[in-house]
Amino acid sequence: MRRLLGFNLLTAVVLGIVGFYVGWWLGHQINGPSVAYFASTGQNDIALFVAYIVGVIGFLAGLGFLNYPVSRMLGKPPSLREKESEGIGRYLGLCTDHKVVGIQYLLGIGAFIFIGGLNAMLIRLELMRPTHLVWNGNNYLTLVSVHGTMMMGMMTSGILGPFANYFVPIMIGARRMAFPRIEALTFWLLMAAGTILMTTFAFGGFPTGWTGYAPLSEQANMGMDAYVAFFALVGLSMTLLGLNMMATIITMRAPGMTWGRLPLFVWGTFSTAVLMVLAAPVLISVLLMLALDRTAQTGFFNVQAGGSPYLYENLFWIFGHPEVYILALPGMGILLEILPVFARKPVWGYRLAVTGMLGISLMSWLVWQHHLFVSGINADLRPFYMLSTELISLPTGFIFIAALGTLWRGRIRLTVPMLFSLAWIFNFLIGGMSGVFLSDTPSDVTTHGSFFSMAHFHYTIMGGLIFAFFGGIYYWLPKMTGFNLNERLGKIHFWVMFVAFNSTFGPLLVIGFLGMPRRVVTYAGYLQGANDWVSVSAFVLGASMLVFLYNLVWTQVFARVPAEMNPWGSKSIEFSLPSPPAVHNFDRIPTFGPDPYPYGDDGAGIGQRPVIAPARPTR
Amino acid sequence: MLSSHGRKLAALTVIGTAIVLPLMVFVLGPNMPPGKDTQVAKGQVFDNTVLLVVMTPFTVFILVYLIYALWAFRAPKGETELIDGPPIRGHGPSQIAWLATTTISVLFLAVFGSTELLANNGAGGGGGPNPVAKPSGAVLPIQVIGQQWEFTYRYPTYGGVETAQLVIPEGQEIAFHVTSLDVIHSFWAYELGVKADANPGVDNVAYVKADHPQTFQVRCAELCGLWHGYMFDTGLVVTPAAFASWIAARKSQFAPVSKYLPPYSTTYAPDPQHRG
Amino acid sequence: MSDYATPTSAVGGDFEEPPQVMARNLRVASQLWASATAFFFFAFVFAYFYLRSLNSQNLWHPHGVSAPTGSGTAIMLLVVVSAAAGYMAARKLAAGDAASFRIGGLVALALGLAAIVVQIVQWSSLGFGPTDGGYASVFVGWTGLYALFLFGTLYWLETLVATSFRSPKNTDSAAAAAFAFYWVVLALVGVATWVVLYLL
Repeated sequence: MRRLLGFNLLTAVVLGIVGFYVGWWLGHQINGPSVAYFASTGQNDIALFVAYIVGVIGFLAGLGFLNYPVSRMLGKPPSLREKESEGIGRYLGLCTDHKVVGIQYLLGIGAFIFIGGLNAMLIRLELMRPTHLVWNGNNYLTLVSVHGTMMMGMMTSGILGPFANYFVPIMIGARRMAFPRIEALTFWLLMAAGTILMTTFAFGGFPTGWTGYAPLSEQANMGMDAYVAFFALVGLSMTLLGLNMMATIITMRAPGMTWGRLPLFVWGTFSTAVLMVLAAPVLISVLLMLALDRTAQTGFFNVQAGGSPYLYENLFWIFGHPEVYILALPGMGILLEILPVFARKPVWGYRLAVTGMLGISLMSWLVWQHHLFVSGINADLRPFYMLSTELISLPTGFIFIAALGTLWRGRIRLTVPMLFSLAWIFNFLIGGMSGVFLSDTPSDVTTHGSFFSMAHFHYTIMGGLIFAFFGGIYYWLPKMTGFNLNERLGKIHFWVMFVAFNSTFGPLLVIGFLGMPRRVVTYAGYLQGANDWVSVSAFVLGASMLVFLYNLVWTQVFARVPAEMNPWGSKSIEFSLPSPPAVHNFDRIPTFGPDPYPYGDDGAGIGQRPVIAPARPTR
Repeated sequence: MLSSHGRKLAALTVIGTAIVLPLMVFVLGPNMPPGKDTQVAKGQVFDNTVLLVVMTPFTVFILVYLIYALWAFRAPKGETELIDGPPIRGHGPSQIAWLATTTISVLFLAVFGSTELLANNGAGGGGGPNPVAKPSGAVLPIQVIGQQWEFTYRYPTYGGVETAQLVIPEGQEIAFHVTSLDVIHSFWAYELGVKADANPGVDNVAYVKADHPQTFQVRCAELCGLWHGYMFDTGLVVTPAAFASWIAARKSQFAPVSKYLPPYSTTYAPDPQHRG
Repeated sequence: MSDYATPTSAVGGDFEEPPQVMARNLRVASQLWASATAFFFFAFVFAYFYLRSLNSQNLWHPHGVSAPTGSGTAIMLLVVVSAAAGYMAARKLAAGDAASFRIGGLVALALGLAAIVVQIVQWSSLGFGPTDGGYASVFVGWTGLYALFLFGTLYWLETLVATSFRSPKNTDSAAAAAFAFYWVVLALVGVATWVVLYLL
């Protein structure tokens, strides 16, 4: 009983709910009958925003996040450690061990992505008929909006959260992240945000999709506030996560771990973190402007009040385009981390790959108006944005050539992580090529806002990032938990997912070209067959996730076959540590050799003995 | 110069490209959306064909490489000892070749796309209130008004009559002035190859000339709320004579209500001071 | 097994860490947070110039909306002097003079709080409101959020000063230097705010 009292998740949930109602009451005090609009329609955005804010504060206080700030206010000295006690309880609270935070992220993001994926299944269900089938207009739009918003918000930290948090300190030879408490904060902010997004269903949902375009987002009812609060919290979480990653990589590298020796996963994390620190604040800004428009009746995006929807579109995409590279870059990092291990070769073109990642980071700021080619904004600048968008495919190409070169004359083993990585190359190729169409303004006139554009970003974000995400899980989970995943189930998961994924989104490229707009609940009758094919494929794709879930729960909770230290024969430092690593990571800090991928006959590097490939686990 | 693997890969790539390229140019290209019904649509089809042609060698190369690598560079099955491959960390000439070909292709596409955009009067895309690329000669203005959740069309040179159906004459350069009364919509006339966002308080102009009489689909392409999925229309291209009689019939049909409409303007603002 | 660690219990030993590590972390974090802040307010700079250029319905800066330049300048000066005080206090601390740091820190704290108070007074006596056009909207949003950033940063200063009072011998000069850097950057943002909102 005593364990239940104190700063933990239960207290946090209780205080969060209490805080929500306190804020709700407070909001009504701020916003009394003098603001007649709010009083008469029952729509009280001010009250809801205040309720969300106080609720989040209560939630964080319940976890114990306010303890350190208060003690510092009283002048107590700074400290790094909260409790890092044993037991399952540390996963349900504030824990400053970066490895615990990594696993928290994996489970937390996993849960919310599952919900986002369920939404996608419900969307595809509706689209099996050209006219109304199951959901009314409002519910359908809310499903579309919550699916997109949840996925985007959760997957921005989808790889940095679980895997960078867990492995970047280990890969650079550090015992901790630069700011462990902030690290834990980013996770719990994200969990609070996800919960807030789900409350939109209680307030009528929201109709704008994940982009939240004004003036529709100003016209929308209270459910819209959940979107604003969710994304602002996600933005804050992103900024802090990126800041922590950058500080860690810049300052905490062990002696001998120079920039030129960083594993490419760390480089991928770094180039992503730069974008997070700089782009997420712009998102928070534009969302605060939207919130002000919805509450204080400012006119940022309202033409009749001296503002303009163009302002929203521009600011949103100034964030939005770096955002999609925040999604793509970590996947590239994982790709180039896994390929050398299973091709048994060093990365081909290491410097080229790093240049590619940093180049993508830099150039992602220069392309945003390609989302606005037919909007009427700055039409004369379209050739410039066409050029910049075409040019960003160059650093992306560096990643491809590095990946392909790594396979050259290798000794490829098709393990599950390798399969997911190879699928990344295939999927991102299609995604990238469809992007070339979209970057050409005349061609974009037909494909903008259609399912072609939707299939493009699903190919790059799901076909790229999510496949890399699963590659990372199969590669690293045995190290993180100490228990193997089942290889046969993994291969079933992969093949079903890969085939179903392409079967879902390949035809959507065609359907988009044939003229079906996005986010619509009706479509031309002759497209029903194609849509039915896509929907069934999507259901199979969803089913493949269940295979993974079964694998995960069965092997980690029930079968629990102990993982050996280095099941893959990887020469990366984390595979020279026990599974899972000790809380202090290393007894002694390693000395790093000149090549993070010391495969090949010269053996330069950490000096691993050749490893005998493991026998197949019996279960 | 090339190793035996390299020679095989090069050969397979060349063969693959030789097979796929004609398919792109002669089979897929001409049938690419949005069709050949207007000049701008033809321009987009041409663009798409050129894009397919430029992308084909790279796509073929990467796919051929992947398949070849998975066949030629596999570790022998049943191998228990993990043997490493050769420590090849890079290859300057390949990197330079890749960099050069991708850069040239990308620059070409950027220049090509810009030229097509400007040469084709904006290629059917909305170009703001003063597009720099406009057709010379007589242009028929037609205003497209988007509102939740219906498109209506006003003909300023015909007394500002507003209709619920879009009818345009063939062989005539049309300027669509697209605007909105509330949220952002997008006017997408698929077969015409036209798409222009409808923004409140903004006049977004797109040009097109239809070649022959036909019907075409009009859809809203920007999420605008509850009935966005139902915001579609069917438009008609007719002969100039049929158009003249149609618009005259509409003018007389709507005459009783036209006088209550606000005067034609490129944008509309609610005027709360003067209601009723 | 592992060359680098033995599987111990979850509670690890406290390993010694050189103090420069935390000092470097604070410095880098301060620079990164300053960059994030700059991009946050860049959105408002963008909004100002963009909405001004569009001038929708001629409502960018309608008649009767006038910037309260007097109080705006006072706020900016208070923040700038506070930043100077904070900067000098950090310098003193780096030279070993913790007492001067505490005094300078308190001065900076007082001036910063005064700036916020003046800002609140300005809002309550503004001749216009958030509904009065584009400039008014940008003004309300920008000054409101800037005051929020000031408040949060003053909390940071308070922790440093309080820690110094509580353990005078252990005052962390790296932390003070990191703070001073950020405080100066925030003051520069304040100057930019003043130039854009009041001078232009």
